[in-house]
Amino acid sequence: MRATVLRTQLSGVARRPSRLLLTGLAVLVASFVVFAAVLAQQITARTVEATAASTPAATDLVVGDPEGTPVGVDVLRELRDLPGVAEAAGRLDSGLALGESGGGYLGLHADPGTGPLALARVVQGSYPDAANEIAVTPRTAERMGLTVGTVTTTGSGTPTGPVKLTVTGVVESDDDGGQDAYAPDLIATALGGTDLLSQIDLRLTPGASPTAVRTQVDGILAAVAQPERPVVRTGAQARAAEAELAVARLGPVFALVGMFISIAVAAAALVATSTFRIVFAQRMRQLALLRAIGANRGRLAGALAVEGALTGLVAGTVGVTIALVLGHALPVLLRAFDLTVSSPGLPLAAALAVIAGATLVTLVAVLAPAFGAARVAPLEALRAASTTSGRRDIGAIRLVGGLLLAAGAALLAGLVVTRLPGPEPVDYNPQTPLLMIVISGTLAFFALVTLGPVLVRPVLWLVGWPLRRLGPVGRLAVGGIGGAPRRAAAVSVVVALGVTLIAGVLVGGSSMRVLGERELAVSAPADFEVTAAAGTTLPAAVVEAARGRGEIRNLTPYRRLDGLALSRTGDPAPIGEGGETLDATDLVLSGLPEVRKLDVRSGRVADLGPGRVVLAGYVTWDTGLRAGDAITLTREQRKIDVRVAAVLPGATPLMSGVVLDPADLDRLGAPAGYAGLLADAARSGEDGRSAAQKALRQVTEGSTGLGLTVLADKRDEINGLVDTLLGIAIGLVGLTVLIAVVGVGATTALSVVERVRESGLLRAVGLSRGGLRFMLTTEASLYGLIGATLGLLLGVPYAWLSIEALGANAPLRFPALPLAALFLALVALTAVAGLLPARRASRVSPVTALATDT
Amino acid sequence: MSSQHHAAPVAPPDQSRAAVAAVDLVKVYGSGDTAVRALDGVTVGFGRAEFTAIMGPSGSGKSTLMHCLAGLDSATSGQALLGGTDLTRQSDRALTTVRRERIGFVFQSFNLLPQLTAAQNITLPLDLAGQRPDRDLYAHLVDVLGIGDRLGHRPSELSGGQQQRVALARALVSRPEVVFADEPTGNLDSRSGAEVLSFLRDSVRDLGQTIVMVTHDPTAAAYADRAVLLADGRIAGDLARPDHASVTEALHRLVATR
Repeated sequence: MRATVLRTQLSGVARRPSRLLLTGLAVLVASFVVFAAVLAQQITARTVEATAASTPAATDLVVGDPEGTPVGVDVLRELRDLPGVAEAAGRLDSGLALGESGGGYLGLHADPGTGPLALARVVQGSYPDAANEIAVTPRTAERMGLTVGTVTTTGSGTPTGPVKLTVTGVVESDDDGGQDAYAPDLIATALGGTDLLSQIDLRLTPGASPTAVRTQVDGILAAVAQPERPVVRTGAQARAAEAELAVARLGPVFALVGMFISIAVAAAALVATSTFRIVFAQRMRQLALLRAIGANRGRLAGALAVEGALTGLVAGTVGVTIALVLGHALPVLLRAFDLTVSSPGLPLAAALAVIAGATLVTLVAVLAPAFGAARVAPLEALRAASTTSGRRDIGAIRLVGGLLLAAGAALLAGLVVTRLPGPEPVDYNPQTPLLMIVISGTLAFFALVTLGPVLVRPVLWLVGWPLRRLGPVGRLAVGGIGGAPRRAAAVSVVVALGVTLIAGVLVGGSSMRVLGERELAVSAPADFEVTAAAGTTLPAAVVEAARGRGEIRNLTPYRRLDGLALSRTGDPAPIGEGGETLDATDLVLSGLPEVRKLDVRSGRVADLGPGRVVLAGYVTWDTGLRAGDAITLTREQRKIDVRVAAVLPGATPLMSGVVLDPADLDRLGAPAGYAGLLADAARSGEDGRSAAQKALRQVTEGSTGLGLTVLADKRDEINGLVDTLLGIAIGLVGLTVLIAVVGVGATTALSVVERVRESGLLRAVGLSRGGLRFMLTTEASLYGLIGATLGLLLGVPYAWLSIEALGANAPLRFPALPLAALFLALVALTAVAGLLPARRASRVSPVTALATDT
Repeated sequence: MSSQHHAAPVAPPDQSRAAVAAVDLVKVYGSGDTAVRALDGVTVGFGRAEFTAIMGPSGSGKSTLMHCLAGLDSATSGQALLGGTDLTRQSDRALTTVRRERIGFVFQSFNLLPQLTAAQNITLPLDLAGQRPDRDLYAHLVDVLGIGDRLGHRPSELSGGQQQRVALARALVSRPEVVFADEPTGNLDSRSGAEVLSFLRDSVRDLGQTIVMVTHDPTAAAYADRAVLLADGRIAGDLARPDHASVTEALHRLVATR
């Protein structure tokens, strides 16, 4: 009997393979994504392994370990004299200060410069071979003006004191940060004032016995006392260790990817449950017939569950296979474009695990629909019309459960709200509130799943009004969704999950970007800064000369003044504990484009002017000063009354407590000389920046004690990092959206099959083919509309709460444009998902449709 | 008896008088050995303001004839004329408009849209055409059919008889040139069935409605002004003023000849 029931089900599957595909599609996509991630991890790990090792391939033995104890130069000398050692290259990464204080910085690397162990290759001039000679990278030569033949001086603060350095050549290496110099090991150690190396690479003479050499090396090292004794590894071991370290650094990234993928898998399970429910509902009469002729509930449910597991097995296998094919094709394709990417292996165990997981997830997903369907009354078989319209309400238990979940979510969120950190949190750990938010969000999502059918109608009423006005077809579409709220809820909730995640990333990203821009406007207000040594001022000639240079623009010199006391006007008590004083600048905030990105806590930065000052946030935290308040600034005997034009959330550019108009700074007795200047490169890009740096260097040459700092590089780095992180995050949460869209497509396709009679009737009473297509496509887009609305309603507040809970003093943003684009994209995507089923439905002739017995 | 089969009186399709007519209509399903001639050269006309029943045993082609005449299905050859328009020559788009504006349907299984209320179901064809219902006609139909207190209900909340009465109102409210009814009483108990048939007969008398009804039930055919008999895709008889006895006898004769 069991076999008979099962056979009936399975032959039904065989007769309509498209249904199997539709129910399994979400699981298929999820299996694909999971296995693709496994392969991507392999590809990345192998690629990193192949490229991350910095020890040259020609190295036979490595003495010492950069992470461990250093090796003395005396060991290097002894190793060089060993028979069987062809070459010994000491490695060292140290730094050199140039010129007077703040004159510049060079990263100094020890390298042989020629031969198989060289990491740097000479492209111009010659490699250093005498004391106080260096070679530099091309970018360094360009940026710092260290062309071949240049003689520069090391800083007086360096261990060896000021020495004259000669640039003998330009070398290329894998890593060119724009401030890198190379020299042979012993010259480098002498310059760095040290006799320690980080590691020594050995190359043996051809034919030399590695074991024999190794024994001799060990003999030399035996002279070193134990805690400092360096380790000896083969070149292969060293390279493997370096690769392993690089791969291990990727670990957290893959952990994050795994987290998002598990959310996508959960979404796939929800979609599968929903589609199984629809498919079983369509077979209600057949199931009722089986019950009528004597199949019991358990057997029926068992047969349906087996069908589900089979679906998962097939979907998982197909998904894994597609991923495997693509995973092996992609590196080959990339190599055709000269990108070195390793191929993944054939992780059979992982493949089987993914297929087993897909089967299990589908089995879990099918259980509730299977038991629900098995509960069908045998009498259903005898009902004439197949208009078993789905229930519109939910049971009391489900309602109570959903409300409890919602209450739990609200309670946790409320708890987080009451414990939000102030503007200046002390010892604040955001981990607990963030965890609470995650739990609250999960509860809220399950509340959405539970209460979905009840929520669909109000949301539909809200978002459906423009469609209802679109005429009878729009009304039909809205009615079609509203008529099956359980189904609409099941799909929309998955869309909502995706939208919640993306909206969270967009809102969070927008806040982080503002926070980043604020930080950068403060820490890097311009591309370059030239500063005078403490207590001195810039020579007027330098400022004048800088003004005349076309390579730079937005030149903004500024003065500094410290020792200011601040009080509310009319209240002699100074603000600030224990006579704490402020420093001030007269930086013209409107002069620099970066500074205009500053956001304010109150007031307007543009109002800065005579008698109007801008305060750093920390000045106001204890006092509650706001824009418009009158304050008195006192320095020694001078006193001025001013008003607060704006209060910044954090520090001011140049980190002063208060920014004044130059006239006000004069009234406080500031000297005329500038403390420093800020400037931007006139042209964008690497060339413009190099030219500007060169110009500023020429301008400051000849004046002692001037420091030139390139702030722009850091800004680029941070901006690039933020962009990359946002891109990765959106890509990952996009997986969930992909599965949601697949779910919408499958649901529309299945409901089109189910409602083929309805389509036939509409065609019979005069709905055109296009009209029917429009109606069904609109229905699909309505799933997206409902889901996106719910997703935004959940995602934006939760993102705001998370930002507040982070305690990073980040502003709350509503990125209206990206969110609107997300909303429209989801509606469009779900509409596209409905397009194919709608086309199929509109092609069926009305006679066939009306005659169909579903 | 086959001679009588061919000698059966066939009403000549007079286009000036006929609301709907078939001229040498042929419909073949499938091809080659498995081809089935569902309609084998049918020529028949249905008069205006006349209630005609199309009868015949299962597989006689009566439903196919109706589908072709209603522009729901295409014919293999011949003409299907609706008030002079040859439906076999129309595009899908034109047929859609014809169905919407000139034809009304009543089905055996009611075929109401579950998500619409009774009132919305009634006005559905007019809504699709972007027209407003004739208030008087609407009120009249709702009144005569006795569904005034059911207009806000959805089909799942209505009995079979009530659903079919809503379907009748939907078919008639747009004043179609012809209403096609496909076994309209097939899913109803005898009392509800009698109500539906009486209404159809009355709408011919009171509203001048042309009605073509496919049925295999002699009792239903007895309500009609005329019964056209079909067998094997051909016209096999034509009874004026049919009653239960004459229809039953004609059907028996038809079966006996085969």
